[in-house]
Amino acid sequence: MTYQPGWIKLAEGHDGALLQAGGAWTVEHAADLDRQVESLPKEAAPRALDLGGIEAIDTAGAWLLARASGQGESQEIPWQNLPAEFRPLAERVLMAGPKVVADRPGPRTILDWVADIGAGAEETYDQALNLIAFFGEFVLAAARVVASPRRFRWVPLLVHVEQTGINALPIVGLISFLVGVVLAYQGTDQLRQFNAQFLTVNMVGISVLREMGILLTAIVVAGRSGSAFTAQIGTMQVSEEVDALRTMGLDPMEVLVIPRVAALIITLPILTFFADLMGLLGGGLMYAVLVDQTFGQYVSRLNDVVTPTMFWVGMVKAPVFAILISLVGCLEGLRVTGSAESVGKMTTRAVVEGIFLVIIFDALFSVLFSILSI
Amino acid sequence: MPERSENVIEIRGLVNRFGEQVLHDGLDLDIRRGEVLGVVGGSGSGKSVLLRTIIGLNRPADGDIRVLGQLTRELDDEALRRLQTRWGVLFQNGALFSSLTVSENIQAPMRERGGIPPELMEELAGLKIRLVGLPVEAAGKYPSQLSGGMRKRVGLARALALDPEILFLDEPTAGLDPIGAADFDQLIRSLQQSLGLTVVMITHDLDSLVTICDRIAVLVDKKIKVGTLEELMRDPHPWIQSYFHGPRARAAGIAAD
Repeated sequence: MTYQPGWIKLAEGHDGALLQAGGAWTVEHAADLDRQVESLPKEAAPRALDLGGIEAIDTAGAWLLARASGQGESQEIPWQNLPAEFRPLAERVLMAGPKVVADRPGPRTILDWVADIGAGAEETYDQALNLIAFFGEFVLAAARVVASPRRFRWVPLLVHVEQTGINALPIVGLISFLVGVVLAYQGTDQLRQFNAQFLTVNMVGISVLREMGILLTAIVVAGRSGSAFTAQIGTMQVSEEVDALRTMGLDPMEVLVIPRVAALIITLPILTFFADLMGLLGGGLMYAVLVDQTFGQYVSRLNDVVTPTMFWVGMVKAPVFAILISLVGCLEGLRVTGSAESVGKMTTRAVVEGIFLVIIFDALFSVLFSILSI
Repeated sequence: MPERSENVIEIRGLVNRFGEQVLHDGLDLDIRRGEVLGVVGGSGSGKSVLLRTIIGLNRPADGDIRVLGQLTRELDDEALRRLQTRWGVLFQNGALFSSLTVSENIQAPMRERGGIPPELMEELAGLKIRLVGLPVEAAGKYPSQLSGGMRKRVGLARALALDPEILFLDEPTAGLDPIGAADFDQLIRSLQQSLGLTVVMITHDLDSLVTICDRIAVLVDKKIKVGTLEELMRDPHPWIQSYFHGPRARAAGIAAD
């Protein structure tokens, strides 16, 4: 069945003006009807709204008719001749009451921007406090678990070791290998100008062992596993699983956080060791190609210039970075509130904060090592 | 709405199977315009799958489904989208978009359809909120700030956003307290009458069946038996007998003690 599109018009009669409406007053024609109603002359003051021509109506149409007749305002125009079959719907809509305008936020002023900066600073400060408090809680819970090792959850630990460690080997290895290649290539290129291309070995060895291996690994793990922790715990938070744990007397810290932190403390040093190897391998292959030496000569020279201290300087950072990344990931996961959007927001924050803290602590380590002259 | 005794939905020979398990085997069902049809059946009998099949979320293995005279499996994407604006669905847990406010949730189908000015969408969302009996303040809230009963009402308002002809409800009163459930039943009934809707509701609530359903469809033996409450009470099928004559049925005042 097809209807004529809805229309409304003002007709002048001998006993005053009369509004007439007809056709289909449905949501399909809403945009057009809205325009027609808005363009009616405001000062006309018709004596009634004649609805005899209405062919179809729905709530959107009834609403627009109510608006056209000034329902809920001082001058109401009475309705007449509405076909009987449309009356229940119209009454229902009119019963729902007059238009209520929801508060809309006003336009943003320069003051709002300033306020945003303040709010952002305050949030960052709160977040720092939160993280420190969370670290404290973690240490307490870890102490409890150490005191009664029966409470430690081995199966989740192994699952997380697999997910964060073994599964990350290919990507960590590939990235380190390529960075080693790039270091050797760029180094040789520059050092050749001074006829000192053999020093490339020192450069690759020191930079991979002290900085590149651990830093690249930590950044990849923050992106891979820190985000996974937030998403896993955050989704559990949304489906009230974390609350369920609490009601069973289980501490989310013990059940969710400690196995994840422990897993990263185990896997990050191993990944770093693997990254060191792959970085040195990539650097060596490139060196051998560019400087016309064998890979064996590279290895023996590496053996002369690299000390165990350099290796340990890199490795000692790994457990610290592991704690930072996993704690931030778990904390943001537990801070998820109620919605899918919140999971996404917190996951982004976990990665950004994780990488930021890794870089900050790396700088602190550099300061510390230079004071200790290592 | 004019009284017409036509069928808005006609299902013929519907077959649904998942792997080895056959859920529906040659199921026929007619749903008439302007009625409230309750769909009941044991757990796993395929009530939700039936609903999902009618609204096009599940492709049946065989059978014809005609909704508002159109054979759904022959429709292209565009025609299916147009048809979809003529029905509204209330999912079991509301399925509200958690990142949108109540008002934005209700406006979502209108926005998708396009062509409605923003102020009018805002007003219509407000109207829908009041039609389902929610306070106006609810408009700016997020679903996580609402109670379960309010979320259902928002879901209903969203299902009604485009003034559909058919309303599908999946266990509308599940999880509500008896008073809230009775209120919700009344709301559905009064909206159905005033807006001229056809309502298909999956329900386990015997009170709902008694108070608002015109006919009841029972899913047994992979097929459907449909009739009024009185007709079904006389049906000899054992599952139907125990359903309508069990202790809960007596509590709802269906069966005599």
